[in-house]
Amino acid sequence: MSRLGPVYTLAAGAVIVVALGAASVKAAPSFQQVGAGQDTTAAAPPAEPFPAPSQEPSDQPSGEPAAKPDATPEKADYAGVVQGNGGLVAIAVRDGKAVAYFCDGRIEAWLKGTAENGTVTLEGKDSLITAALGGGKAQGRLQVGKAKWRFTAPLVKKPSGLYRASAVVRGAKIVGGWIVLPNGQEVGRVQIGGSGEPAPRFVPGTAVDYYGITLRPEEPDGFIDELAR
Amino acid sequence: MTHTTVITKRSLAPLLVPLGAGALVAVALGVYGKAHAPTGFAVGVAGFSGPLAMKAWLTTGAALLAIVQVLSARAMWRRTGTRSAWVAPLHRWSGRIAFLLTIPVAFHCLYALGAQYDSPRVLIHSLLGSFFYGVFTAKMLALPRRGLPGWSLPVLGGLVFTALIGLWLTSSFWFFTTLGIRL
Repeated sequence: MSRLGPVYTLAAGAVIVVALGAASVKAAPSFQQVGAGQDTTAAAPPAEPFPAPSQEPSDQPSGEPAAKPDATPEKADYAGVVQGNGGLVAIAVRDGKAVAYFCDGRIEAWLKGTAENGTVTLEGKDSLITAALGGGKAQGRLQVGKAKWRFTAPLVKKPSGLYRASAVVRGAKIVGGWIVLPNGQEVGRVQIGGSGEPAPRFVPGTAVDYYGITLRPEEPDGFIDELAR
Repeated sequence: MTHTTVITKRSLAPLLVPLGAGALVAVALGVYGKAHAPTGFAVGVAGFSGPLAMKAWLTTGAALLAIVQVLSARAMWRRTGTRSAWVAPLHRWSGRIAFLLTIPVAFHCLYALGAQYDSPRVLIHSLLGSFFYGVFTAKMLALPRRGLPGWSLPVLGGLVFTALIGLWLTSSFWFFTTLGIRL
Protein backbone atom coordinates (compact mmCIF):
# COMPACT_ATOMS: atom_id res chain seq x y z
CA MET A 1 0.00 0.00 0.00
CA SER A 2 1.21 3.42 -0.84
CA ARG A 3 1.90 5.41 2.28
CA LEU A 4 0.13 8.30 0.64
CA GLY A 5 -3.04 6.30 -0.07
CA PRO A 6 -5.00 7.66 2.89
CA VAL A 7 -3.92 11.20 2.06
CA TYR A 8 -5.20 10.70 -1.49
CA THR A 9 -8.50 9.55 -0.03
CA LEU A 10 -8.81 12.73 1.99
CA ALA A 11 -7.72 14.79 -1.00
CA ALA A 12 -10.35 13.15 -3.21
CA GLY A 13 -12.99 14.12 -0.66
CA ALA A 14 -11.71 17.69 -0.59
CA VAL A 15 -11.74 17.88 -4.39
CA ILE A 16 -15.38 16.74 -4.47
CA VAL A 17 -16.29 19.33 -1.85
CA VAL A 18 -14.67 22.08 -3.92
CA ALA A 19 -16.43 20.85 -7.08
CA LEU A 20 -19.82 20.72 -5.35
CA GLY A 21 -19.21 24.16 -3.89
CA ALA A 22 -18.31 25.66 -7.26
CA ALA A 23 -21.31 24.02 -8.92
CA SER A 24 -23.65 25.18 -6.16
CA VAL A 25 -22.46 28.77 -6.35
CA LYS A 26 -22.88 28.76 -10.12
CA ALA A 27 -26.20 26.97 -10.25
CA ALA A 28 -29.16 29.07 -11.24
CA PRO A 29 -31.92 29.73 -8.70
CA SER A 30 -34.06 26.66 -8.56
CA PHE A 31 -37.43 28.32 -8.27
CA GLN A 32 -39.86 27.48 -10.98
CA GLN A 33 -40.62 30.01 -13.62
CA VAL A 34 -43.64 29.00 -15.55
CA GLY A 35 -45.38 30.86 -18.31
CA ALA A 36 -43.85 34.12 -19.40
CA GLY A 37 -41.19 33.89 -16.75
CA GLN A 38 -40.65 37.61 -16.43
CA ASP A 39 -38.31 38.39 -13.60
CA THR A 40 -38.81 42.10 -13.94
CA THR A 41 -42.47 42.21 -12.96
CA ALA A 42 -41.48 43.64 -9.60
CA ALA A 43 -40.87 46.99 -11.19
CA ALA A 44 -44.10 46.82 -13.15
CA PRO A 45 -46.97 49.15 -12.30
CA PRO A 46 -49.91 47.75 -10.34
CA ALA A 47 -51.77 47.18 -13.57
CA GLU A 48 -50.54 43.68 -14.20
CA PRO A 49 -49.00 42.81 -17.53
CA PHE A 50 -50.28 39.28 -17.24
CA PRO A 51 -53.82 39.32 -15.93
CA ALA A 52 -55.01 36.02 -14.59
CA PRO A 53 -57.97 34.45 -16.35
CA SER A 54 -60.20 34.99 -13.35
CA GLN A 55 -59.07 38.53 -12.73
CA GLU A 56 -61.04 41.53 -13.86
CA PRO A 57 -58.80 44.53 -14.40
CA SER A 58 -61.37 46.92 -12.96
CA ASP A 59 -61.26 45.14 -9.61
CA GLN A 60 -57.93 46.43 -8.53
CA PRO A 61 -58.54 50.16 -8.37
CA SER A 62 -61.93 49.66 -6.73
CA GLY A 63 -60.46 47.36 -4.09
CA GLU A 64 -58.22 50.16 -2.87
CA PRO A 65 -59.88 53.56 -3.16
CA ALA A 66 -57.42 56.16 -4.35
CA ALA A 67 -59.07 58.80 -2.19
CA LYS A 68 -58.11 56.98 0.99
CA PRO A 69 -54.62 55.64 0.43
CA ASP A 70 -54.10 55.15 4.15
CA ALA A 71 -57.08 52.92 4.67
CA THR A 72 -56.00 49.50 5.83
CA PRO A 73 -57.85 46.85 3.88
CA GLU A 74 -59.81 44.33 5.90
CA LYS A 75 -58.95 41.58 3.50
CA ALA A 76 -56.26 41.74 0.87
CA ASP A 77 -53.72 39.47 -0.76
CA TYR A 78 -50.51 40.74 -2.26
CA ALA A 79 -47.86 38.82 -4.17
CA GLY A 80 -44.90 39.92 -6.21
CA VAL A 81 -41.26 39.51 -7.08
CA VAL A 82 -38.49 40.57 -4.70
CA GLN A 83 -36.20 42.99 -6.49
CA GLY A 84 -32.59 41.93 -6.68
CA ASN A 85 -33.41 38.46 -5.43
CA GLY A 86 -35.87 37.07 -7.96
CA GLY A 87 -37.78 35.19 -5.28
CA LEU A 88 -41.40 35.85 -4.49
CA VAL A 89 -43.10 37.42 -1.51
CA ALA A 90 -46.76 37.23 -0.58
CA ILE A 91 -48.64 39.10 2.13
CA ALA A 92 -52.14 38.30 3.31
CA VAL A 93 -54.13 40.76 5.45
CA ARG A 94 -57.25 39.71 7.38
CA ASP A 95 -58.92 42.06 9.90
CA GLY A 96 -55.74 43.67 11.15
CA LYS A 97 -53.73 40.46 11.16
CA ALA A 98 -51.11 39.84 8.55
CA VAL A 99 -49.01 36.89 7.47
CA ALA A 100 -46.30 36.83 4.85
CA TYR A 101 -44.13 34.28 3.15
CA PHE A 102 -40.93 34.80 1.27
CA CYS A 103 -39.33 32.09 -0.83
CA ASP A 104 -36.78 32.05 -3.60
CA GLY A 105 -36.66 28.27 -3.88
CA ARG A 106 -33.63 28.10 -1.60
CA ILE A 107 -34.38 30.16 1.46
CA GLU A 108 -37.80 30.85 2.87
CA ALA A 109 -39.36 32.74 5.73
CA TRP A 110 -42.79 32.76 7.33
CA LEU A 111 -43.67 36.06 8.97
CA LYS A 112 -46.58 37.27 11.03
CA GLY A 113 -47.65 40.67 12.21
CA THR A 114 -50.27 43.35 12.07
CA ALA A 115 -51.84 45.63 9.51
CA GLU A 116 -52.79 49.11 10.67
CA ASN A 117 -52.63 52.68 9.41
CA GLY A 118 -52.06 51.45 5.90
CA THR A 119 -48.87 49.59 6.75
CA VAL A 120 -47.93 46.05 7.63
CA THR A 121 -45.12 45.06 9.95
CA LEU A 122 -44.26 41.41 10.05
CA GLU A 123 -41.63 39.41 11.85
CA GLY A 124 -40.36 35.90 11.44
CA LYS A 125 -37.29 33.91 12.40
CA ASP A 126 -34.38 36.13 11.34
CA SER A 127 -36.71 38.02 9.01
CA LEU A 128 -38.61 41.28 8.89
CA ILE A 129 -41.04 42.91 6.46
CA THR A 130 -42.37 46.45 6.51
CA ALA A 131 -44.61 47.61 3.70
CA ALA A 132 -47.05 50.35 2.84
CA LEU A 133 -50.43 49.24 1.56
CA GLY A 134 -52.13 51.39 -1.02
CA GLY A 135 -52.59 52.06 -4.68
CA GLY A 136 -53.39 48.40 -5.25
CA LYS A 137 -50.08 47.17 -3.99
CA ALA A 138 -47.89 46.50 -1.00
CA GLN A 139 -44.57 48.23 -1.33
CA GLY A 140 -41.79 47.82 1.15
CA ARG A 141 -38.68 46.16 2.40
CA LEU A 142 -37.79 42.62 3.26
CA GLN A 143 -34.91 41.50 5.43
CA VAL A 144 -33.88 37.88 5.71
CA GLY A 145 -30.80 37.27 7.81
CA LYS A 146 -28.40 39.99 6.74
CA ALA A 147 -29.84 40.39 3.24
CA LYS A 148 -32.19 43.28 2.49
CA TRP A 149 -34.37 43.72 -0.57
CA ARG A 150 -37.22 45.91 -1.77
CA PHE A 151 -40.38 44.60 -3.27
CA THR A 152 -43.61 45.72 -4.87
CA ALA A 153 -46.39 43.20 -4.54
CA PRO A 154 -49.61 43.98 -6.41
CA LEU A 155 -53.00 42.86 -5.16
CA VAL A 156 -53.77 39.39 -6.42
CA LYS A 157 -56.88 37.29 -6.51
CA LYS A 158 -57.49 33.61 -6.13
CA PRO A 159 -56.03 31.35 -7.45
CA SER A 160 -52.94 33.54 -7.18
CA GLY A 161 -51.46 34.35 -3.80
CA LEU A 162 -50.19 32.53 -0.76
CA TYR A 163 -50.73 28.89 0.17
CA ARG A 164 -49.60 26.87 3.16
CA ALA A 165 -49.94 23.23 4.02
CA SER A 166 -49.00 21.67 7.33
CA ALA A 167 -49.11 18.11 8.49
CA VAL A 168 -47.64 15.96 11.23
CA VAL A 169 -46.47 12.60 10.00
CA ARG A 170 -45.19 10.10 12.56
CA GLY A 171 -43.99 12.87 14.82
CA ALA A 172 -42.40 14.98 12.09
CA LYS A 173 -43.89 18.39 11.37
CA ILE A 174 -44.13 19.19 7.70
CA VAL A 175 -44.83 22.72 6.49
CA GLY A 176 -45.13 23.61 2.84
CA GLY A 177 -45.40 27.12 1.44
CA TRP A 178 -46.22 28.25 -2.07
CA ILE A 179 -46.64 31.60 -3.80
CA VAL A 180 -48.47 31.70 -7.09
CA LEU A 181 -48.42 34.79 -9.30
CA PRO A 182 -51.07 35.68 -11.88
CA ASN A 183 -48.57 35.05 -14.69
CA GLY A 184 -48.18 31.47 -13.53
CA GLN A 185 -44.82 31.96 -11.83
CA GLU A 186 -44.64 29.85 -8.73
CA VAL A 187 -42.20 29.07 -5.96
CA GLY A 188 -42.43 26.90 -2.90
CA ARG A 189 -40.56 24.92 -0.31
CA VAL A 190 -41.35 22.16 2.11
CA GLN A 191 -39.63 21.98 5.48
CA ILE A 192 -39.49 18.85 7.56
CA GLY A 193 -37.56 18.13 10.73
CA GLY A 194 -35.08 21.00 10.47
CA SER A 195 -34.47 20.32 6.82
CA GLY A 196 -36.10 21.66 3.72
CA GLU A 197 -36.23 21.28 0.00
CA PRO A 198 -37.99 22.77 -3.01
CA ALA A 199 -41.67 21.95 -2.93
CA PRO A 200 -43.34 19.79 -5.56
CA ARG A 201 -45.28 21.79 -8.12
CA PHE A 202 -48.64 22.91 -6.83
CA VAL A 203 -51.70 23.58 -8.94
CA PRO A 204 -54.19 25.67 -6.93
CA GLY A 205 -57.22 23.64 -5.99
CA THR A 206 -55.36 20.34 -5.95
CA ALA A 207 -53.39 18.39 -3.39
CA VAL A 208 -49.60 17.96 -3.46
CA ASP A 209 -47.84 14.63 -3.13
CA TYR A 210 -44.70 14.89 -0.99
CA TYR A 211 -42.94 11.54 -0.68
CA GLY A 212 -46.32 9.84 -0.72
CA ILE A 213 -47.81 12.18 1.89
CA THR A 214 -50.78 14.19 0.72
CA LEU A 215 -50.40 17.87 1.51
CA ARG A 216 -53.43 20.11 1.09
CA PRO A 217 -52.29 23.71 0.67
CA GLU A 218 -54.73 26.21 2.16
CA GLU A 219 -55.45 29.82 1.39
CA PRO A 220 -54.64 32.37 4.12
CA ASP A 221 -58.21 32.18 5.46
CA GLY A 222 -57.43 28.63 6.50
CA PHE A 223 -54.21 29.26 8.43
CA ILE A 224 -53.90 32.92 9.34
CA ASP A 225 -55.44 32.45 12.79
CA GLU A 226 -53.16 29.53 13.55
CA LEU A 227 -50.07 31.35 12.32
CA ALA A 228 -50.68 34.94 13.44
CA ARG A 229 -51.67 34.31 17.03
CA MET B 1 -5.21 -9.20 26.66
CA THR B 2 -1.60 -9.92 27.34
CA HIS B 3 -0.28 -9.13 23.91
CA THR B 4 -1.19 -5.46 24.21
CA THR B 5 1.18 -4.87 27.10
CA VAL B 6 4.14 -4.86 24.75
CA ILE B 7 2.48 -2.66 22.20
CA THR B 8 1.21 -0.01 24.59
CA LYS B 9 4.77 0.81 25.56
CA ARG B 10 5.04 2.53 22.21
CA SER B 11 4.88 6.25 22.29
CA LEU B 12 1.70 8.24 21.84
CA ALA B 13 3.66 10.89 19.97
CA PRO B 14 2.89 9.64 16.45
CA LEU B 15 -0.81 10.03 17.23
CA LEU B 16 -0.57 13.68 18.20
CA VAL B 17 -0.53 15.13 14.69
CA PRO B 18 -3.43 12.98 13.37
CA LEU B 19 -5.54 13.66 16.45
CA GLY B 20 -4.76 17.37 16.34
CA ALA B 21 -5.63 17.60 12.67
CA GLY B 22 -8.81 15.62 13.24
CA ALA B 23 -9.83 17.91 16.09
CA LEU B 24 -9.24 20.93 13.87
CA VAL B 25 -11.40 19.44 11.11
CA ALA B 26 -14.24 18.66 13.51
CA VAL B 27 -14.21 22.11 15.08
CA ALA B 28 -13.88 23.83 11.71
CA LEU B 29 -16.92 21.99 10.32
CA GLY B 30 -18.98 22.81 13.38
CA VAL B 31 -18.02 26.48 13.30
CA TYR B 32 -18.70 26.68 9.57
CA GLY B 33 -22.08 25.00 9.97
CA LYS B 34 -23.09 27.49 12.63
CA ALA B 35 -21.48 30.63 11.24
CA HIS B 36 -22.50 30.72 7.61
CA ALA B 37 -26.03 31.47 6.46
CA PRO B 38 -27.68 28.31 5.13
CA THR B 39 -28.29 28.63 1.42
CA GLY B 40 -31.18 26.16 1.38
CA PHE B 41 -29.75 24.73 -1.79
CA ALA B 42 -26.77 22.65 -2.83
CA VAL B 43 -25.78 20.72 -5.90
CA GLY B 44 -25.92 17.02 -5.20
CA VAL B 45 -26.34 13.67 -6.87
CA ALA B 46 -29.16 13.58 -9.42
CA GLY B 47 -31.67 10.77 -9.81
CA PHE B 48 -33.51 11.01 -6.50
CA SER B 49 -36.86 12.61 -5.81
CA GLY B 50 -35.26 15.26 -3.63
CA PRO B 51 -32.17 16.16 -1.61
CA LEU B 52 -33.52 14.42 1.49
CA ALA B 53 -34.00 11.16 -0.39
CA MET B 54 -30.58 11.52 -1.99
CA LYS B 55 -28.96 11.92 1.40
CA ALA B 56 -30.93 9.07 2.97
CA TRP B 57 -29.79 6.61 0.31
CA LEU B 58 -26.17 7.71 0.03
CA THR B 59 -25.86 7.48 3.81
CA THR B 60 -27.41 4.02 3.72
CA GLY B 61 -24.85 2.98 1.10
CA ALA B 62 -22.06 4.30 3.30
CA ALA B 63 -23.47 2.53 6.36
CA LEU B 64 -23.63 -0.81 4.53
CA LEU B 65 -20.04 -0.36 3.40
CA ALA B 66 -19.16 0.50 6.99
CA ILE B 67 -20.36 -2.97 7.99
CA VAL B 68 -18.05 -4.37 5.32
CA GLN B 69 -15.34 -2.27 6.96
CA VAL B 70 -15.85 -3.87 10.36
CA LEU B 71 -15.93 -7.41 8.94
CA SER B 72 -12.85 -6.91 6.76
CA ALA B 73 -11.00 -5.19 9.61
CA ARG B 74 -11.78 -8.15 11.84
CA ALA B 75 -10.33 -10.46 9.19
CA MET B 76 -7.21 -8.31 8.96
CA TRP B 77 -6.64 -8.24 12.71
CA ARG B 78 -7.35 -11.88 13.34
CA ARG B 79 -4.28 -13.41 14.93
CA THR B 80 -4.85 -16.93 13.77
CA GLY B 81 -5.37 -18.44 10.37
CA THR B 82 -4.26 -17.19 7.03
CA ARG B 83 -5.21 -13.82 5.74
CA SER B 84 -6.65 -13.71 2.26
CA ALA B 85 -4.94 -11.37 -0.15
CA TRP B 86 -8.16 -9.60 -1.02
CA VAL B 87 -9.08 -8.55 2.50
CA ALA B 88 -6.86 -5.47 2.67
CA PRO B 89 -7.91 -4.10 -0.74
CA LEU B 90 -11.54 -4.80 0.16
CA HIS B 91 -11.15 -2.86 3.39
CA ARG B 92 -9.35 0.00 1.69
CA TRP B 93 -11.75 0.40 -1.21
CA SER B 94 -14.97 -0.13 0.69
CA GLY B 95 -13.79 2.57 3.06
CA ARG B 96 -12.85 4.95 0.28
CA ILE B 97 -16.19 4.49 -1.47
CA ALA B 98 -18.09 4.89 1.80
CA PHE B 99 -16.22 8.11 2.54
CA LEU B 100 -16.86 9.50 -0.94
CA LEU B 101 -20.56 8.60 -0.69
CA THR B 102 -20.85 10.74 2.43
CA ILE B 103 -19.35 13.85 0.81
CA PRO B 104 -22.42 15.06 -1.15
CA VAL B 105 -24.51 14.33 1.94
CA ALA B 106 -22.36 16.34 4.30
CA PHE B 107 -22.00 19.08 1.72
CA HIS B 108 -25.76 19.50 1.51
CA CYS B 109 -26.08 19.34 5.31
CA LEU B 110 -23.46 21.97 5.97
CA TYR B 111 -23.81 24.24 2.95
CA ALA B 112 -27.57 24.22 2.51
CA LEU B 113 -28.81 23.62 6.06
CA GLY B 114 -26.03 24.37 8.52
CA ALA B 115 -25.61 23.04 12.03
CA GLN B 116 -28.84 23.17 14.03
CA TYR B 117 -29.58 22.45 17.63
CA ASP B 118 -33.38 22.72 17.68
CA SER B 119 -34.36 19.11 18.30
CA PRO B 120 -32.44 16.20 19.85
CA ARG B 121 -32.24 14.31 16.56
CA VAL B 122 -30.88 17.28 14.65
CA LEU B 123 -28.53 18.26 17.46
CA ILE B 124 -27.05 14.77 17.74
CA HIS B 125 -26.78 14.58 13.97
CA SER B 126 -25.00 17.93 13.72
CA LEU B 127 -22.48 17.04 16.42
CA LEU B 128 -21.87 13.51 15.10
CA GLY B 129 -21.38 14.84 11.59
CA SER B 130 -18.56 17.14 12.66
CA PHE B 131 -17.09 14.41 14.85
CA PHE B 132 -17.22 11.84 12.03
CA TYR B 133 -14.99 13.82 9.68
CA GLY B 134 -12.64 14.69 12.51
CA VAL B 135 -12.13 11.06 13.47
CA PHE B 136 -11.95 9.98 9.85
CA THR B 137 -9.22 12.54 9.18
CA ALA B 138 -7.33 11.32 12.26
CA LYS B 139 -7.61 7.71 11.11
CA MET B 140 -6.40 8.52 7.58
CA LEU B 141 -3.42 10.48 8.87
CA ALA B 142 -2.61 7.81 11.45
CA LEU B 143 -2.67 4.93 8.95
CA PRO B 144 0.74 5.44 7.31
CA ARG B 145 2.51 6.26 10.59
CA ARG B 146 4.94 3.84 12.14
CA GLY B 147 5.16 3.08 15.84
CA LEU B 148 1.56 3.77 16.74
CA PRO B 149 0.15 2.20 19.90
CA GLY B 150 -1.47 -1.06 18.87
CA TRP B 151 -4.96 0.05 19.79
CA SER B 152 -4.85 3.22 17.67
CA LEU B 153 -6.37 1.98 14.44
CA PRO B 154 -9.06 -0.25 15.98
CA VAL B 155 -10.15 2.56 18.28
CA LEU B 156 -10.17 5.20 15.55
CA GLY B 157 -11.88 2.85 13.12
CA GLY B 158 -14.42 1.88 15.75
CA LEU B 159 -15.20 5.54 16.43
CA VAL B 160 -15.60 6.24 12.70
CA PHE B 161 -17.98 3.29 12.43
CA THR B 162 -19.96 4.28 15.53
CA ALA B 163 -20.28 7.88 14.34
CA LEU B 164 -21.46 6.81 10.90
CA ILE B 165 -24.07 4.44 12.28
CA GLY B 166 -25.24 7.21 14.61
CA LEU B 167 -25.48 9.53 11.62
CA TRP B 168 -27.46 6.92 9.71
CA LEU B 169 -29.87 6.41 12.61
CA THR B 170 -30.48 10.15 13.01
CA SER B 171 -31.03 10.74 9.28
CA SER B 172 -31.75 7.84 6.93
CA PHE B 173 -33.51 5.70 9.51
CA TRP B 174 -35.58 8.72 10.56
CA PHE B 175 -36.36 9.49 6.91
CA PHE B 176 -37.37 5.92 6.05
CA THR B 177 -39.53 5.49 9.15
CA THR B 178 -41.14 8.92 8.78
CA LEU B 179 -41.70 9.24 5.05
CA GLY B 180 -41.35 5.63 3.97
CA ILE B 181 -38.76 3.81 1.93
CA ARG B 182 -38.72 5.56 -1.41
CA LEU B 183 -36.16 6.81 -3.88
